[in-house]
Amino acid sequence: MIDDSKPIFMQIAELIENGIVDGTMPEESQVPSTNEFAAFHRINPATAAKGVNVLVDSGILYKRRGIGMFVATGARAQVIARRTEEFFEQYVKPLTLEARKLGISAEQLNTMIERSSGLAQETGTDKERSAAL
Amino acid sequence: MNDTIVEARNLFKHYKDLNALDNVNLNLSTNRIYGLLGRNGAGKTTLMSILTAQAFASSGEALVFGASAYENDSVLSRICFIRESQKYPDDFQPQHAFRSAALFYKDWDQQFADRLAEDFQLPLKRRIKKLSRGQLSAVGVIIGLASRAELTFFDEPYLGLDAVARQLFYDRLVEDYADHPRTIILSSHLIDEVANLLEHVVVIDRGRIIMDADAEDIRGSAVTVSGSADTVDAFLMGRKVLHRETLGSLASVTVDEALNSRERAEALELGLELSPVSLQQLVVRKTMAGAGTAASGAENFTDDVMEARR
Amino acid sequence: MSRTLAVARMQLINKWTYIGWPLTILAASFLMSLAIFALIPVNEGKYGGGSQAPMWYFLVLGIQSMTLVFPFSQGLSISRRAFYLGTLGLFSLIALGMTALYLLGGAIEGATNGWGVYGYYFKIPWVTDGPWYSTAAFFFVVMMFMFIIGFWFATIFKRWGTTGTLVSTLGTAVALIGLAALTTLLEWWGSVGAWFAQQSPLSISGWAALLCVVLAACSYATLRRATP
Repeated sequence: MIDDSKPIFMQIAELIENGIVDGTMPEESQVPSTNEFAAFHRINPATAAKGVNVLVDSGILYKRRGIGMFVATGARAQVIARRTEEFFEQYVKPLTLEARKLGISAEQLNTMIERSSGLAQETGTDKERSAAL
Repeated sequence: MNDTIVEARNLFKHYKDLNALDNVNLNLSTNRIYGLLGRNGAGKTTLMSILTAQAFASSGEALVFGASAYENDSVLSRICFIRESQKYPDDFQPQHAFRSAALFYKDWDQQFADRLAEDFQLPLKRRIKKLSRGQLSAVGVIIGLASRAELTFFDEPYLGLDAVARQLFYDRLVEDYADHPRTIILSSHLIDEVANLLEHVVVIDRGRIIMDADAEDIRGSAVTVSGSADTVDAFLMGRKVLHRETLGSLASVTVDEALNSRERAEALELGLELSPVSLQQLVVRKTMAGAGTAASGAENFTDDVMEARR
Repeated sequence: MSRTLAVARMQLINKWTYIGWPLTILAASFLMSLAIFALIPVNEGKYGGGSQAPMWYFLVLGIQSMTLVFPFSQGLSISRRAFYLGTLGLFSLIALGMTALYLLGGAIEGATNGWGVYGYYFKIPWVTDGPWYSTAAFFFVVMMFMFIIGFWFATIFKRWGTTGTLVSTLGTAVALIGLAALTTLLEWWGSVGAWFAQQSPLSISGWAALLCVVLAACSYATLRRATP
């Protein structure tokens, strides 16, 4: 699960965020302790703590003294909002840039996106996907 | 707050025809897990021996808890360093070794030692002389863990241990460290296995420290770029090349630099592939770069470039 | 201080090394001597010299303290000083205990006419002829000497390796031969003989004790910079 591409604390923070977004870690539920994260992922506890603290600092998690760490109310919306912004920067911008290079109009692009999301909803197999491409 | 626990200043250790330590300077802080990495014979054990006053430096200064450990009970009582080739009294069984350790470490946890012995399937009542290499390593690992010394060294603790036992050691180390933070120095050349446990990495090669950085800073500090040799070389022009491999007209080049997101995008646009470099790969590359292959590597690099252009 | 005591206690964790083996060797050599005495049909004093067997074990013990226990003590971060004092202190106690056994054995031996078979295991002509404290001093010093000499040579080996051991052994031999040659050259043998004739077992023990102290000091000085 942990790889070498970026610092482990960032990967830990992302893993927790993923849990919040997909609902496995609902708001106001307790998240595992840093030591549990460390033991589970076989990483240094300080690194796990750093990942958790990133989320505490941004208000996604909060500490209850003596009890542990909890998902804040509104955390999911906050994560989704930020990731949406990142999605725009990381995917949409390059997409439109590339589209402009290839002379694809905004209308054509929209059609393609609709086609693609239709495929995603059909829970298409790999075969269908590659056929569509 | 000064949380420096180990301080080495200009340490040298000369043997007849060898500089085992060549001007080592090092600062280690409390409550961290350090990796002391390097090849066999790079000077790892020598450095640890000198820090713990088991051996003597030719020159320089080694301070632990702010003082020399030599004949200093107040410093020594907080250190545990079971070496890889540790010797034990002739008639001793593992249980005797553990009871001995209990006499000298105020935080010794006998229950923990017993549990570990069970985990490692260590026969407590067999003479240590008759143990297998792995069981011998287990004795050292158990003393190191159960002593809970403020400064604990593990000297290639995995020798002879199988994959299961090694994983067990890493797991117990993380668990126990989480409950009882202390300074751990883990000497190893199985870097991939320990990489995620480390908070800070010190790499030693032929008696010199060639890397001393936080593990998280190292992660992603280097990148391997592969693709058509021409494109790769043009893209990486002027960068610090650690390693270069070619296969026909394809090249795979590791640079000791991180790429920013714009550069990454550019690389992808050029059809180049980027892959992360593991700590082990990075250490291997850096060690080899230091071993004189660096100079020739750089020459080869230009040669290859010339060749590719012809 | 507590770490010095702990060094002694550590070496008693396995009771065999310092207590079991010396007693076993003593008992075995005693019984063997007795059996041999009983088989010799002579009704006058028979002396075996079997009582020196434990002394040789103490030589080995001295060597092993240094080659095996010292490296282990270093692994447990025990200072060289604590290791030295704890080990030598412990051995002194063991030597005292053994001496007491020798005295006791000697007393019984005397009272029973050599265990009823005129066999003398503990009694050594001339050496044990003096008062009890003279006999005690002799046994104690010999035990200490054996242990310390083993300890010191092992320390030299630890510190300077095979070459160092060889050099110091040869050096000692050369010095002794040189001394003998010098004595011959200066025709001093007569006075040397006279000196020895004047000595009592107690005074010999005294000189040996002095030698032990010198050797012990040398051992410590060598140990100070020894590595495991």
